[in-house]
Amino acid sequence: MGPSDGDKVEGSSSGAGEDLRECEIEGKMEGSVDQISHLALDIGGSLVKLVYFKGNNNCSDDDKKGERIGFSNGSGTYPILDGRLHFAKFETSKINECIDFIYSRQLHRGGCWHHEAPVSENTIIKATGGGAYKFADLFKEKLGVGLDKEDEMDCLVAGANFLLKAVHHEAFTYMDGQKEFVQIDHNDLYPYLLVNIGSGVSMIKVDGDGKFERVSGTSVGGGTFWGLGRLLTKCKSFDELLELSHRGNNRVIDMLVGEIYGGMEYAKIGLSSTTIASSFGKAISENKELEDYRPEDVARSLLRLISNNIGQISYLTALRFGLKRIFFGGFFIRGHAYTMDTISVAVHFWSKGEAKAMFLRHEGFLGALGAFMSYEKHGLDDLMLRLERFPISETYSGGKIHSPLPGDFNDHESIECRVYAT
Amino acid sequence: MAGLTEHPVLGITDIKEESNENKATDKVVREEEGEKEMALIAGNSIHRSGSRPQLDLSGAAIQGNFEEKDPTILLPNQSDDISHLALDIGGSLIKLVYFSRHADRSSHDKRKMSIKERLGLLNGNRRSYPILGGRLHFVKFETNKINECLDFISSKQLHRGGMDSRSWHPEAPANENALIKATGGGAYKFADLFKERLGVSLDKEDEMDCLVAGANFLLKAIRHEAFTHIEGRKEFVQIDHNDLFPYLLVNIGSGVSMIKVDGDGKFQRVSGTNVGGGTYWGLGKLLTKCKSFDELLELSQRGDNRTIDMLVGDIYGGMDYNKIGLSASTIASSFGKAISENKELEDYRPEDISLSLLRMISYNIGQIAYLNALRFGLKRIFFGGFFIRGHAYTMDTISFAVHFWSKGDAQAMFLRHEGFLGALGAFMSYEKHGLDDLMVHQLVERFPMGAPYIGGKIHGPPLGDLNEKISWMEKFVQKGTEITAPVPMAPPGTTGLGGFEVPSSKGHSLRSDASALNVGVLHLVPTLEVFPILADSKTYEPNTIDLADHSELEYWFTVLSEHLPDLVDKAVASEGGTDDAKRRGDAFARAFSAHLARLMEEPTAYGKLGLANLLELREECLREFQFVDAYRSIKQRENEASLAVLPDLLMELDSMSEETRLLTLIEGVLAANIFDWGSRACVDLYHKGTIIEIYRMSRKKMQRPWRVDDFDTFKGRMLGSGDKMPHPHKRALLFVDNSGADIVLGMLPLARELLRRGTEVVLVANSLPALNDVTAMELPDIVAEAAKHCDILRRAAEAGGLLVDAMINIQDGSKEKPPSVPLMVVENGCGSPCIDLRQVSSELAAAAKDADLIILEGMGRALHTNFNARFKCDALKLAMVKNQRLAEKLIKGNIYDCVCRYEPSS
Repeated sequence: MGPSDGDKVEGSSSGAGEDLRECEIEGKMEGSVDQISHLALDIGGSLVKLVYFKGNNNCSDDDKKGERIGFSNGSGTYPILDGRLHFAKFETSKINECIDFIYSRQLHRGGCWHHEAPVSENTIIKATGGGAYKFADLFKEKLGVGLDKEDEMDCLVAGANFLLKAVHHEAFTYMDGQKEFVQIDHNDLYPYLLVNIGSGVSMIKVDGDGKFERVSGTSVGGGTFWGLGRLLTKCKSFDELLELSHRGNNRVIDMLVGEIYGGMEYAKIGLSSTTIASSFGKAISENKELEDYRPEDVARSLLRLISNNIGQISYLTALRFGLKRIFFGGFFIRGHAYTMDTISVAVHFWSKGEAKAMFLRHEGFLGALGAFMSYEKHGLDDLMLRLERFPISETYSGGKIHSPLPGDFNDHESIECRVYAT
Repeated sequence: MAGLTEHPVLGITDIKEESNENKATDKVVREEEGEKEMALIAGNSIHRSGSRPQLDLSGAAIQGNFEEKDPTILLPNQSDDISHLALDIGGSLIKLVYFSRHADRSSHDKRKMSIKERLGLLNGNRRSYPILGGRLHFVKFETNKINECLDFISSKQLHRGGMDSRSWHPEAPANENALIKATGGGAYKFADLFKERLGVSLDKEDEMDCLVAGANFLLKAIRHEAFTHIEGRKEFVQIDHNDLFPYLLVNIGSGVSMIKVDGDGKFQRVSGTNVGGGTYWGLGKLLTKCKSFDELLELSQRGDNRTIDMLVGDIYGGMDYNKIGLSASTIASSFGKAISENKELEDYRPEDISLSLLRMISYNIGQIAYLNALRFGLKRIFFGGFFIRGHAYTMDTISFAVHFWSKGDAQAMFLRHEGFLGALGAFMSYEKHGLDDLMVHQLVERFPMGAPYIGGKIHGPPLGDLNEKISWMEKFVQKGTEITAPVPMAPPGTTGLGGFEVPSSKGHSLRSDASALNVGVLHLVPTLEVFPILADSKTYEPNTIDLADHSELEYWFTVLSEHLPDLVDKAVASEGGTDDAKRRGDAFARAFSAHLARLMEEPTAYGKLGLANLLELREECLREFQFVDAYRSIKQRENEASLAVLPDLLMELDSMSEETRLLTLIEGVLAANIFDWGSRACVDLYHKGTIIEIYRMSRKKMQRPWRVDDFDTFKGRMLGSGDKMPHPHKRALLFVDNSGADIVLGMLPLARELLRRGTEVVLVANSLPALNDVTAMELPDIVAEAAKHCDILRRAAEAGGLLVDAMINIQDGSKEKPPSVPLMVVENGCGSPCIDLRQVSSELAAAAKDADLIILEGMGRALHTNFNARFKCDALKLAMVKNQRLAEKLIKGNIYDCVCRYEPSS
């Protein structure tokens, strides 16, 4: 394959501050637009994640010429399409909004309104996540497209491998509020533990491209945080709940070691008095009801419970298989500082400092990206190692899809890439 | 950011739940009560002989302490004044372990001394220092009712060494230095209260030390302490003491501690989780408004977690996710469905919420525990702590998690005394607790009257004497709680469970969870030993019938229930038929029915249950209501009748050839075994004739071949073949069964034959009465009476020291003959119609060492138990099967078929 060309990554801080939260990876795509699907979906229990490619001059008749850069791989020259990979999220419960979004942009037809032809009977969209099964009929009915189900784990791993290899500074650690990017040596990437925190949590041991095994998991995940949090705080959204937790104090509800032992350190077994002995352990107090606790404090305790637990099980699982690196991804994290911090602290605590939790900038889109990668002709997989920096590009904006994400999700960076057909 | 200074995680076992506002008011109340209590103690002490102020039963009918306290056995503590009490004061429960010392019942009568001397029991081959026997009691209180606990301790004077302590002087103030070992967070919190109320200091023991010491003790000292719990089925596991370590101990309190145990006192806390019992209760309380932990648990039993948990099937449109081994019903996300926008907290059933929560926490603990066991290469994981509480679903979930994650390689195990680990460990921390080298075979667990009701849960203030027990039982019945076996008990109505943590308002069952296990009183009997000539004591299982088979269980419960009225009649008659006896008889019937009902409801409630245990339970229950010997008069009558015809029988036998005589003797044993008041069929027979008539009729019917007939092999060993005369056995142990014809016309003539052949004979009989079984106490008189008509028996009994009081006039007559081999009597150490050879008296164990022939006679000892037992010496098992079901099951035969099973030593 071609030696010289590559995709480019661009960090950008000039992203949209608008409602729509999207990331974009710019790229170039080669080949006939209408032969290549440009959309892939990850339909989870809580969120639908979209990845779609949009040429820089999308749908113009001359896109094939104008954007093409000569590229030779020894057997011929292939057309290359410059463009961007866009990322979008919807709540699964509002899947109709997602379908409207796809329809309004004609993403299922390659994103071009002027393709007058009816949607082909054979048009398929790569999709993963449990909802790819559940909502297949709905997509057929509303958009006339079939969902081509890709295995969820395959997609997660493909997405993570792509990001870790292709995107400079994709991984970072987060401790004490400090984010530190980690340069992963591509030759020393495997094996690693990929912890995907969706509604539930999957822990996957990754040994190479397409080589992986789901070795563990837990049902206490993002769905638990949101579900229990809703019941306990009446929050209207996941993000609101996260926001609340940011302002809370878990000591009001959690029982600390010091409270059992009258403020004495329980040093003998290495616990300090401020260690949480029992999450929600103080809530057993007889004279307090749910209404007597601040929702902020409840949210905080819940977040710590779940983050701690995931961090602990992940560490034990990594230990079991002798894995040095643990990458956490999935929508639960969402770049939320406090979540990352509690997970990092848990891993640090249980490993006695030997293991570090790492996070991915594009953590929420592993599955969707992996589904996108599964199109046979996108050609991205050969380009991963040849990324270049592209100039800052504008983030797509517009349309109110769902409420804004809080926190400092990395920047509204976009990744520009070239995509070409083989 | 506040969070950054906090540390994640972990689990400690106990809880502190009181708010500050409560403390102030509590204190005042306590002080007032403290004054009252002091007055009560003073008043009480004057009348301590039993006229304690009567309990107000109207409000506290079941609040009693139902541990048994049998004054006929209780003797003053003779040795020292160490405290016999230890506490584990947790956030929700206070656990007490206390020890009441009972001296060995060994009597000093000459006959027994003589036997002991002969068996070498007095010559220092026993341990050089005495271990006092006693009872280890387990009691619980709710921490927020700590005053009940203090009252209990005070009324029993446990902090002063117990009422049986001679050192206790009611007038003397408590020793300034009196210390009680205590553990748990409350040991710090309530130290002042104990000082103030009882004048004792709490000596705080480290919690982990106690947990581990308690677990090690239980796992080593109690047979079948551990069990697995899979899909609602408990299976008791016998742990090889030599292969116990290392193991992982997971203690689930408010938080969870995971401890790697490598040996006594050698352990390390390796992990834990902050998601534990406190999380379940705390979150559960916020979400459901439950008032107690048990209420929350009870709710979960009626819940359906699928309404709240997101299952794999919910995500995958009802399909499994086979590729990674997840079925559609696997929970993908706990509480994941609660994100649905159109439902609020009020729209979910509290039952479902409780179950989802329980599932989430149990599963999580199981998973983390397994990962830690794996990390340290530990094969066994024991789970304990208050969170479990014998709750079936909790145990199932934890087991499932361990099984699932280990792919079946690891098993979760639970402990019957799980709630008492800490308290037991605190008890063990006394320097002189005397339990150090206690062995499994020295412990007998008994379930006194209250056991089925309280399910090993909270006890209230003590009910002391028998009269209070009976009153309680009558009260219980009056309130409309008719107990009928074998169906489970009806609800208690308004009886009130005031002192118990079972929420009385709910009232559908006496326990919050039917599967909670009952904990009995551990009787420490230092004189018990393992029968030394068992071929393999490790694999020995006394029970032939496994009551884990529910139809078998049901059958025996029906048999016992139907037999109950007759037994009560006999028992009442044996005590003279007085009004008092009738009252006690009623109370016994109800108490025993309650045991049966409890066991029908939860067959494993009392641990591993065999038929032998069930039959012994009945005898113990009779004794609890002071029916010393229900069949006393029947036994006497039948002994007399049989002894009257014995001379004729002996003459008949002596006229026979050796070969015919041996056969007739065995036929006689089998025929006489028909006289069994434990068998319904035989009781019916009694109405049809006199003893000797039945005996002769029965013997005539002894047509060989019997259903199991090894007589010829036995005869070959006894008589040899051709000219070869085999050497006689050195010593035979004869395990005898019933009184009357069975012993007099069956076993005694057989014993006589053995004696005549130069074999020493040891008659092994019950220590305590059971049905019409002959006891070791009764045997010497029977032998003496028989010896009047038989020179062989007389000289042997004399040689065996059975005729200490008399017969001097006969001595000159025996001078010409060589001294006889002895005929001896030893007690077997038990009071049951069956016998568990892992726990026999030291005398029997000593006698067995030289034995080369064992004869087990009767259904109880040769069929129900020991049918499959193998011995190091020759063994003969003789019985008539007087039960159709057993006949079919065991020998594929019919009622009245006979078993003559001879197994030569291998």
